[in-house]
Amino acid sequence: MTSKFRKTAMACGILADALKARFGEALLKLETHEHKGGAANETLYRDLWVEVAPETFRPFIEALFEYDFVNFHVISGDDTGDDVELNYHLSLFQRTRGGRVGITLTVRVPKAALSLPSIFDVLPGSEYSEREVREMFGVDFDGLPNKTLVFLPEDWDEEIKPWRRDATGPTPEHVRELS
Amino acid sequence: MSTTYKVPIGPVHVGLKEPVTAWLELDGERIVGARVRPGAIHRGIEFMARERNPIQVIYLSERICGICSFSHVLCFIRAIEDLAGMTVPVRGQYIRTLVLELERVHSHLLWAGVACYTIGFDSAFHLGMQLRERVMDILELLTGNRVNYGVATFGGVRWDVTPELAKAMREMIRYYRREFTPFRDIVMDDPIAHARMRGVGVLTGEEAVRYSATGPTARASGLRIDLRKSSPYEAYGDIPVEPIVPQDHFGAARGDVLDRFAVRVMEVYQSLDVLEKVLDGLPEGPYAAEANLNKVLASLKKAEGTGWGIIEAPRGDDTHVVHLKGGDENVYWWKVRAPTYANAVSWPLMFRGNELADAPLIINSIDPCISCMERMMVTDGRGDPRVVTRAELLERCRRKTFDMMGRRA
Repeated sequence: MTSKFRKTAMACGILADALKARFGEALLKLETHEHKGGAANETLYRDLWVEVAPETFRPFIEALFEYDFVNFHVISGDDTGDDVELNYHLSLFQRTRGGRVGITLTVRVPKAALSLPSIFDVLPGSEYSEREVREMFGVDFDGLPNKTLVFLPEDWDEEIKPWRRDATGPTPEHVRELS
Repeated sequence: MSTTYKVPIGPVHVGLKEPVTAWLELDGERIVGARVRPGAIHRGIEFMARERNPIQVIYLSERICGICSFSHVLCFIRAIEDLAGMTVPVRGQYIRTLVLELERVHSHLLWAGVACYTIGFDSAFHLGMQLRERVMDILELLTGNRVNYGVATFGGVRWDVTPELAKAMREMIRYYRREFTPFRDIVMDDPIAHARMRGVGVLTGEEAVRYSATGPTARASGLRIDLRKSSPYEAYGDIPVEPIVPQDHFGAARGDVLDRFAVRVMEVYQSLDVLEKVLDGLPEGPYAAEANLNKVLASLKKAEGTGWGIIEAPRGDDTHVVHLKGGDENVYWWKVRAPTYANAVSWPLMFRGNELADAPLIINSIDPCISCMERMMVTDGRGDPRVVTRAELLERCRRKTFDMMGRRA
């Protein structure tokens, strides 16, 4: 795999159709967000919002690499009760004007099996995000070499997962009101 | 047999402007390994937002960073506008672009000055600081503040560009075209500055792609990426911007500190051109969709969903993701990813084979904003008696006044 961004872009709609044809029912959600602006109020760029099950996550990421080298932005997420919902924010086709397709890939990881394959081997830029999600939500990333804390202090009680909304999350006495 | 030593730089160090720790493994003077440990300035801003409504969070997001505060605000606002389907009047989009480019000029000037300071080129540092004042004056003229401008709001901006202000901005553009060039030449033509920055802290193009480097750091490694081109927003829909890469100017991209310096310097000129085009094309009309904040808040209370805002901040792409829950007035969750968060992952690569003395320069070369990168929360509940909270400080301050009054009486 060459580490280069391709010079040409694929239209968002064509990419969406290709992904649909390839993954079919495994795509639990496929939506397009259009971003308009400028004097003519034309669509300037588009984002795809996709959801897959944890077992399709890694094949989906690998499939994206067939279109362009993926640019990784961040993992956002929330504790939704039985699951931890993670959103991977990625970009493809960054070389042409208006050609970039932003991809938000959602994966719901059940709390009963809080583990997901790491993408560090293909996208080492994801290291901080995976470590952050690990310390904040308690999701284990299979294949992530460095599993030490990244933002939390060294003496942090790792039983407390700051972004969780259940019993493992911070309680009011953990929060110090500064003013 | 060679022995290696581990030397920590930071979290507090004279060569660093903000707290971060780099554990460097040294063989003599050469860095053979590096491990970066952030976390010293996590403030819990994303957590604090969960108890605030979106309008309050505008002002919270502004305080993520003092330099690119408008970038963070706009990114947050665009994420909300994305999920709630809000539109912005064209004049509002143009004014947003103006502030973005003023901020870029400010950020790059500040960085260029500080980079000179880091290598001990103090006269250039002072020149850089002097140059920076003019853009801060213009920002103050527009918004009333030198930092944390409070200018953006949902569906537009809060302040208009008056004809007098437009005139002052055009004068500023002329001033920089005239006065910035001597600064550029003093540094770029200086053999010592050249020697200190050339070949130092190299990040190759392939590595920049793999490690998802962003902004001037990525462009200095030769990547032609800039969100203003690849996914235009606001007035960039009408004003094309081309990524600035060193190979177009020096024949090749080396991805070293000098290339990062050069890219930022050239981006200052680019920003001046964009500012001029924005002023030329500034359309008439309203600058905000809805001035009544209560109405905005009521409509946001009904909105539900996740929105993603992504813009080209001075240091690279800034990403905000926001989730609102229908019926809930507060922000349900919010994720901020500042450019430094992406670029800091590449630090260990940049350190390889360099000298210890270059470490602060390499750290500074990505224009790190540690406060941007780290925002997380809370204490560990055990409490730290050495930390004085604002309330305690206020209490002490007042007590001192009362004590003095008591003594006088």
